[in-house]
Amino acid sequence: MSRRRTTPLAVRRHRTGYLFSLPGLVFLALLLAYPLLYNVWTSVHAVSLSSRLGGPEPFNGLANYRSVLTDPAFWRAVRVSALFTVGSLVCQFTIGFALALLFIRPFPFNGLLRSLLLMAWLLPPIVSGTLFRWMLDGDSGAYNALLRSTGLGVLTHDWLTDPSTALACVIAANIWVGVPFNMLLLLVGLHGIDPELYEAAALDGAGAWQRFRRITLPLMRPVSAAVLLLGLITTFKVFDLIFVMTGGGPVDATTVLSLYVYEVFFRFFRFSQGAAGALLLLTVPLIAAALYVRRLRHERATA
Amino acid sequence: MTTIRKPWLHTATAAVVTAVFLVPVLWMVSTSFKKPDRILAVSPQWIPSPFTTENYSAALANPALPRALLNSLVISGGVVALTLLLAVPLSYALARIPMRGSGAMVLALLIAQLLPAIVLAAPLFILERKTGLQNTYTGLIAADTTLTLPFAVVVLRPLVQSIPAELEEAALVDGCGLPGVLGYVVLPLMAPGLIAVAGMSFLLAWGEFVFGLTLGQTPEVQPATVVLNSFAGPVRTAWGPLMATATLISVPVVCVFAILHRFIVGGLTAGSVKG
Repeated sequence: MSRRRTTPLAVRRHRTGYLFSLPGLVFLALLLAYPLLYNVWTSVHAVSLSSRLGGPEPFNGLANYRSVLTDPAFWRAVRVSALFTVGSLVCQFTIGFALALLFIRPFPFNGLLRSLLLMAWLLPPIVSGTLFRWMLDGDSGAYNALLRSTGLGVLTHDWLTDPSTALACVIAANIWVGVPFNMLLLLVGLHGIDPELYEAAALDGAGAWQRFRRITLPLMRPVSAAVLLLGLITTFKVFDLIFVMTGGGPVDATTVLSLYVYEVFFRFFRFSQGAAGALLLLTVPLIAAALYVRRLRHERATA
Repeated sequence: MTTIRKPWLHTATAAVVTAVFLVPVLWMVSTSFKKPDRILAVSPQWIPSPFTTENYSAALANPALPRALLNSLVISGGVVALTLLLAVPLSYALARIPMRGSGAMVLALLIAQLLPAIVLAAPLFILERKTGLQNTYTGLIAADTTLTLPFAVVVLRPLVQSIPAELEEAALVDGCGLPGVLGYVVLPLMAPGLIAVAGMSFLLAWGEFVFGLTLGQTPEVQPATVVLNSFAGPVRTAWGPLMATATLISVPVVCVFAILHRFIVGGLTAGSVKG
């Protein structure tokens, strides 16, 4: 008993540390590290539904990657993903910034209204997707009904079943989902700007636009970069919203990379190609994360 | 900023923006209370008249839905419990104790946060089939926790770091063992973070779809999100019951957020901006 008491705190802490992180470590090893490594293994072997039932699964090098990279559907998905990501990011960020500039001012019910906006972001994406699917429905959707009742009936359209408009629609829905979160993060950034800067600038005769251009924009640059990188990662994760709105259709018009991987893996059970596709898909968020971490380090170093 | 001359004007602007933004949600709730013939009416109506709950009865008459709501509740509860159980000691260790490999662990958590769910769902599908975890609550709870654990550690670790180490040492000197220090000193001070993590984990698990779709393919474990998706059939969708189902799934989200929003907003911003 007394011996335990005399064990230095640091040593006891050390032991406890390993003990405490053990459950988390085991969990991460079993559910994250192992599956990801298994994915790498699958991507360089010939694994299919029949091989899973007890056939041979020989090593086949980069053949699966080659077959994905020569699949026109993969490149179509790359293009759709790029359009989806750029469209979503630009609009989410711009609208989120505008809303943040509105909500940075103190006014009655500010907190309540902000929370209501944020609630839209917290709705399960499957629910938001279902809403938009119903609103954009060609026969009975609210959007077409609105057009008809305002005399713009000629513009009514089968929004989600026409390949030329479906992608724009899922992008619009994703913008709707992402705006509140962008606003929230940008608000945090705006709160970090010293109000005395604005007062000094106003005293010097700077107008509202000048204050925005010369103070807000440059000082928000680091936060904006972080928000955009984070947005890139989250946009690349989007699956549910598109899945319920269009299922990737019509004719692959909205098949982003994650839906492509789903198709290959879970619809055609081409496990090896699916695994290879999944790893190719992973490169984009990995690069974004590396940039994000570098930015954080840089900020900490200069702060 | 400079003094605001017309705060109510800003309130009005913000209120209009919020209302326009929430139109899809309001439309969902409104549709869910409309008679089927009113839903497809040429001139859309905002307030359902006559007001009816028949869409809800119709939706719930399909035994798949009550079962799916129950499944979602069980899975979300399990995810909250497992997340806290793993994240609290892990965050404490990562915050307080210099260990070999803690950097690698933080990196693993970061990677987990950026993984598109499908990248993990693919290998888990094969592995859970092999181990018999496919189509079980355990399999789904474990998979969902890969989404909540990184977030939980990101929120909790700085909280532990913000507790003065002297406080713990004082308690140790006073003869309180390490478990006592954690139970009486550390955990109470972490309470707001624990509530945020519990709330966010519940919301994430409740809304989760990809793992539910791929790893839970039987009605016995399928979460409500997957059932909602299957209700939205390709053609001739029954919109009334569908909107009723969507509203039912949203109710717990709204409730949890309404009760915990202070904690959740704090946790969200801490988790995302500071990394």
